[in-house]
Amino acid sequence: MSRDILVLDHLCKSFGPVEVTRDVNLVIREGERHALIGPNGAGKSTLFHLISGNYKPTSGSIRLDGDEIGGLDPARVNRRGLARSFQITNIFSGLSVAENLRLAVMRRYGLQFNFWRRVTHLRRVNAEVDDLLQKIRLTAKARSIAGDLPYSDQRSLEIGMTLASDPKVILLDEPMAGMSHEETEYTTDLIRDITAGRTLMIVEHDMDVIFTLADRITVLVYGEIIATGTPQQIRESARVKEAYLGEEAG
Amino acid sequence: MLKKLVAVIAVLALLLALPALLSESMLNASVQMLIAALFATAFALLCGQAGMLSFGHAAYFGLGAFATVHAMNAFGGDGLLPTPLMPLAGAAIGLISGLGAGYFSTQRTGTYFAMITLALAELLHALAPHLKEVFGGEAGISSFRMPAWGFEFGSTIEIYYLVLGWTVLCIALLWGLTLTPFGRLVLGLRENSHRLKFLGYNTHALGTFVFALSAAFAGVAGALQALNIEAANYVVLETQVSTAVLLNTFIGGAKVFFGPAIGAAAMTFFGHVTSDLTRSWLLYQGIIFMLVMMYLPRGIVGEILARFRGEGGAVNPVAVLARFAGILVAAAGFVMAIELTQRFFSTDYKAARQAGGWPAVEFAGHMWAPFAPLTWALPIVLIAAGLGLVTFINRREARRQEAQI
Ligand SMILES: Nc1ncnc2c1ncn2[C@@H]1O[C@H](COP(=O)(O)OP(=O)(O)OP(=O)(O)O)[C@@H](O)[C@H]1O
Ligand SMILES: [Mg+2]
Repeated sequence: MSRDILVLDHLCKSFGPVEVTRDVNLVIREGERHALIGPNGAGKSTLFHLISGNYKPTSGSIRLDGDEIGGLDPARVNRRGLARSFQITNIFSGLSVAENLRLAVMRRYGLQFNFWRRVTHLRRVNAEVDDLLQKIRLTAKARSIAGDLPYSDQRSLEIGMTLASDPKVILLDEPMAGMSHEETEYTTDLIRDITAGRTLMIVEHDMDVIFTLADRITVLVYGEIIATGTPQQIRESARVKEAYLGEEAG
Repeated sequence: MLKKLVAVIAVLALLLALPALLSESMLNASVQMLIAALFATAFALLCGQAGMLSFGHAAYFGLGAFATVHAMNAFGGDGLLPTPLMPLAGAAIGLISGLGAGYFSTQRTGTYFAMITLALAELLHALAPHLKEVFGGEAGISSFRMPAWGFEFGSTIEIYYLVLGWTVLCIALLWGLTLTPFGRLVLGLRENSHRLKFLGYNTHALGTFVFALSAAFAGVAGALQALNIEAANYVVLETQVSTAVLLNTFIGGAKVFFGPAIGAAAMTFFGHVTSDLTRSWLLYQGIIFMLVMMYLPRGIVGEILARFRGEGGAVNPVAVLARFAGILVAAAGFVMAIELTQRFFSTDYKAARQAGGWPAVEFAGHMWAPFAPLTWALPIVLIAAGLGLVTFINRREARRQEAQI
């Protein structure tokens, strides 16, 4: 029985009168790959924003490895070992691909206020960058300006940057949106590889990806969790079929 | 890489040789160009590299100048530091005030950031006249350079080399900074500070620090000015100083390292040359800025570099020269029109008219009467011919490029 790494407890978020997250209780176990699914506007991204520190919860708590992180700023959350990607590509558009990854890797080496070393001479940082480039298949485009890349390459870069902080917990928000079939397959394998020994939460609309990747699935509808279980359980749940999967089929 | 090195050495050699080549007055102008170049490069660290547009950099330039004058006057005029090290006083006050101002202003971004920097600078400017002890009131504070290290620091040549040394040192340091982890993070701050947070960086601390560094180097520039004129007056805190550095930076190209320095040196040079010839220098500066922003949005150096990198297709040197000639002709027409208008509407002219009639005014060595057809026809023809030539070349080039596709 593994530890609980991420615990959401009576988590609520409202924007004015609109309740977007309603009393969410969820326990993510260390090492699992957990998928979050639900129709558009269900509040999946909002949940990620709450966990990663982008939004402050209206009420309730979020514990990462036993420590309360609800309401902490994003940088602190990241330094405690949680990294995320964004549904809307969020990269350094004007910088090269390698530079994007380097900024992402550098933080762990405590180089934020380093004025004397040359970035091109940071051996271990650059080795990590090269390794990441290879994993996300962008070695050939290392020097390209990130904003000039095709959309699917930018999505890969987004994943690479998330991985670069070497996090315990990774949140990926629709990482494959906009990728071709081949790219999706490759990325699914990549995500499986890179999340070995880590904990993953992933939002994805592609059911094939979900069912091949996820150990457990949570279904969110109108900000509420209506089911959590193994892929098998979710597939067979009448409530889920009615609320969500049924829509997809029909 | 080698090419860059050769270029840098050539420029340095030229700068070192300048005193032998220039008149006293041009050497004086060169000192001002160097100071403006350093100020703009320091400003661009914040505005070009970190993407934070400050409207109040006069404050740090001015504080640097005043701190230096006080340091020069310390110990009954013996000075806090030997003369060549005086700019350290400017750097220190810039760094300290920059940390404070940066701490508050970088809590906001974009327009709000700009407004805070403006407000802080205006606050200082409004306070200065009331703090006579510190800012010397209307008359300002004067001082004079003590001999040190075997130099008198009495001649323009000595002060030129002192300013050159500091400017080159500071610009080299700022260049070095761009190669370090901190320098790259500053670019990240400009590109996407939101994402930096999610990578675990404390963006507020980063922003505060880059602000402070920019202010520290601006303080050195202010110190050099104080050393040069052996005085400081609270006019250095005026908004115009803040806007001038901003315009210079964008005219040169805020995002290319040497753009701001070149822009500032060029504009200071033009200012020096034209200030004796025209009262409308600020107007021309404004027009140049407008035209650069409209047609060369990356700044003059930025656009030239982009062409060298081959953006925007192959360069046809004949077309470039022809365009340039067209622009010069049109500019001559504009200048003539503006200068004549300015003269005819001046108070001097009003006084001259008291004697009766509509006397002619002098421009470019000739006399021009207000109602003579040639007076207005010539500038109009020049403008039309110049713009016509540019349009003609543009059309021809466009057709040529289409034909190639
Ligand atoms: N900052 C905000 N202010 C107001 N309403 C918001 C805000 N962010 C999200 N919402 C609302 O919250 C609801 C959930 O949005 P969210 O982006 O979390 O959905 P999602 O499940 O990620 O949807 P999708 O599958 O389309 O990405 C939506 O109705 C949205 O309009
Ligand atoms: Mg979403």
